[in-house]
Amino acid sequence: MTEFNRRSLLAGMGAAALPLAAQAQTAMTAAVYPGGWDEALANVLAPALRARHNVSVAFDPLFAVDQIAKARAARGTPPFDVFVLDPGPRVSGIDFSLFESFDPTRLPSRGVLPDGYADAQGAAVAAQVVGIAYNPTKVPKPTGWRDLFQPQFASKLGLTGFGTTFGTISLIEMAKALGGSEANMDPLFTELRRIKPSVAAVAQPAAMPGLFQQGQIDLMYTNTYTVTLLRSRGVPIAFAVPETGAAAFVTTMHIAKGSRNIAAAYQYIDSMISTPVQTALAAAPYFFVPVNKDVTPGEDVPMRSISEINRFVTHDWSVINPLRAGWISRFNREMAG
Amino acid sequence: MEARGVWRLALPLGIAQLLFFAAPLLLLAGTSFSTDENLTQTSLRAWREVVGDTFHIQSAINTLRLGALAVCATALLAVPLALLHLAAGPVLRRIILIAAVLPLLTSVVVRTFSWIVILGREGVINTTLMGLGLTSAPIALLQTEHGLVLALTQIEMPLMLLPLIAAMARIDPALLDASASLGGSLFRTLRRVVLPLALPGLLAGATLVFASATTAFISQGVIGGGRLNYLPALVWQNAMVVFDWPLAAAMALTLMASVLMVAGLLSLLGRGARHA
Repeated sequence: MTEFNRRSLLAGMGAAALPLAAQAQTAMTAAVYPGGWDEALANVLAPALRARHNVSVAFDPLFAVDQIAKARAARGTPPFDVFVLDPGPRVSGIDFSLFESFDPTRLPSRGVLPDGYADAQGAAVAAQVVGIAYNPTKVPKPTGWRDLFQPQFASKLGLTGFGTTFGTISLIEMAKALGGSEANMDPLFTELRRIKPSVAAVAQPAAMPGLFQQGQIDLMYTNTYTVTLLRSRGVPIAFAVPETGAAAFVTTMHIAKGSRNIAAAYQYIDSMISTPVQTALAAAPYFFVPVNKDVTPGEDVPMRSISEINRFVTHDWSVINPLRAGWISRFNREMAG
Repeated sequence: MEARGVWRLALPLGIAQLLFFAAPLLLLAGTSFSTDENLTQTSLRAWREVVGDTFHIQSAINTLRLGALAVCATALLAVPLALLHLAAGPVLRRIILIAAVLPLLTSVVVRTFSWIVILGREGVINTTLMGLGLTSAPIALLQTEHGLVLALTQIEMPLMLLPLIAAMARIDPALLDASASLGGSLFRTLRRVVLPLALPGLLAGATLVFASATTAFISQGVIGGGRLNYLPALVWQNAMVVFDWPLAAAMALTLMASVLMVAGLLSLLGRGARHA
């Protein structure tokens, strides 16, 4: 931060001294997830964008649902130029018409993305792989989602509801493993009701890593990013790919409807998918799962390239979203008391 | 200066309050009586869902109960501490005051997280109990109501202790001497002189702790967990995840009304006690 300030100060002094030679810098605002993403994008993407396009970016740290809520509350005057969203909030954003229509041909780097990763809504910028995280010093490696409901695992398990993308798809996968489906959650809720008295914690998604670190829980469903991040901080944690397959989804960026910095927004997204930025983001200490075909994912990610994502379990969020409010409410009620 | 014009001094703050507090509040009330957040059509749907659903009623009761428990727990601990402060010399007084204010200097998030470290399965309390052989398996503290009340007691303690100390400091020491010279025992002096005079401080503290504990969104979520349902988390969930703004607005107003009701009751109690 101080470095950024000093640099902008120097740039400002330079501009004041040589007004004719100075090229006006474009300033834009982008929403970014707090905790990890904000730091990564500020350290990797922002300098790259400034160097390549002379665009300076200010970040607005907001979770996906908060971005949608803030953009809706702003009613047509977007508080930021670019969204970064998971599939569920992405579909909400499309439903509420919060995005400018997106033209993938304005991304010079689009060739590095797999087919279909840039469309009329936006472009994929990172992937997430979701499975089971466990503490190898406390519990044996679980083989699949069903194992979580066995007594020896359930008593160490941390549950979180349908409030997040990773929570939702993990619970859907559990429902499927228990004989239900994307549309039938009854088998899941029956089993949840049964193990409820013994589970170690039912918590908000953001509290899960802390509970794991403190030994309150030894099992949780999460993404590879959280696993790698916790292990890099000395927490004994490993990622297990369930026998039915790990689930994967992509995080996408979208240009906010009514943005006044559309050219800069395209440059921002293009820099984000570029090979140097994706390479730096995939490495320590950021551990992103790259969507760039030329970049190799980190060791915890059970794929060697984004092209392998077809082998993973994926979900149709246009089906999930209408049902989700009901599941959220039911989870609250079933878990109460 | 003429006294009649003094009200004009309050105009800047008054206008600001009207614009930035009363107007959004009206909008909130309007939203709760609508079908959606654009106020397209009036509807009682949200209120029917709040009032007609036992889950929501239970969550409201849980929230009020949590506030009441936090008030009782903080009062039980703060009254003896405030008495100690009253009786103590200047050095001890300063130590008590610093100890009371110190928690306010750390963020609620940090204080809340430290309670995970204390209450957790492998936390300080459980490892101590197991090390002493008092229990063989860790006992559940985190994600229980009593664990949450315990944490809130520490988190909200300054809000109870400070008004209480301030109220007791205003008691004229001559009154205590008078009570003693009239044959009042220490306990009788405490009950008939000190506590009644400290009551305004106790009630102010109770109001602050109640309002703060019932709306302690972070502590309720992190220490209480998903098995305990309180209104603040439901408001957030309905506004931010489910996008049901009318329901969120109705719940927010329910929470506000219940807190105001209790604060009103406490202030009535204070007025009654003064006239008794």
